[in-house]
Amino acid sequence: MLKLLLVVANKEDYSGFATELVKQKDVDLLWADSGEKALDMVSAGPVDLVITDEKLIDMNGLEFALRLLSVNPMVNCSAVSSLDAKEFHDKSEGLGLMSQLPPRPGAGDALELLAKLKKLKNLTECSALNSK
Amino acid sequence: MENGRIAIPSMETGGLDGQRAGHFGHCDVFTLIDVEDGQIKNVATVPNQEHVQGGCMVPVNLLAGHKVNAIVVGGIGMRPLMGFRQVGIEVYYDVTRPVIRPVVEDLIAGKLPLIGNNQVCGGGGGS
Repeated sequence: MLKLLLVVANKEDYSGFATELVKQKDVDLLWADSGEKALDMVSAGPVDLVITDEKLIDMNGLEFALRLLSVNPMVNCSAVSSLDAKEFHDKSEGLGLMSQLPPRPGAGDALELLAKLKKLKNLTECSALNSK
Repeated sequence: MENGRIAIPSMETGGLDGQRAGHFGHCDVFTLIDVEDGQIKNVATVPNQEHVQGGCMVPVNLLAGHKVNAIVVGGIGMRPLMGFRQVGIEVYYDVTRPVIRPVVEDLIAGKLPLIGNNQVCGGGGGS
């Protein structure tokens, strides 16, 4: 089961995206409405992927991604951003983000995100196996 | 370092006389050097895995599984740095020398600095 945490201030912007995620039999979708609450949730137990909105009620998405590293750098993170790809890369460099999502992501974005996450988890598990 | 295993991100086939890779996530292989009583006892290489966006933890897990104690980088992002620290691998820094052997010798002699948070790539850190 993949545990995903969606950190958004306005759930309505994510209705299509979230609906597609919960349709998947192997996804457990959690919600947080602030960065601090999401960090507490990650502290309490690991999740496979955190998806952060561009602006949260208490911090912006990239600030959240940076703080997430201090809580658990093993947790994957994707961020919604209206920046163009180059600017996003420059601003997020080093944070190790899995992907950039467009504002108001939809069902197709959800499926693409899940495919990336599964590939990444497979690579991570292979690297652990290859070292044994 | 008196005892332990050092990893060096390396180009092509690696080895003690090989070339370092500037970007650890994209290196071809990791050269692994075993140190006993301050002497190099064994040298081996491990192929790197495919690098994908957000895949910083793939080499972290790979090297942790190979029981690496220290890695020397020329650059690293904040996320993999935090990952290495979490699994107990010390991250040392040398940005100037392209050849593996002198960097390893300096690490064994205690002459290499640990990387600081302010030396990571990018604003937050470049995996």
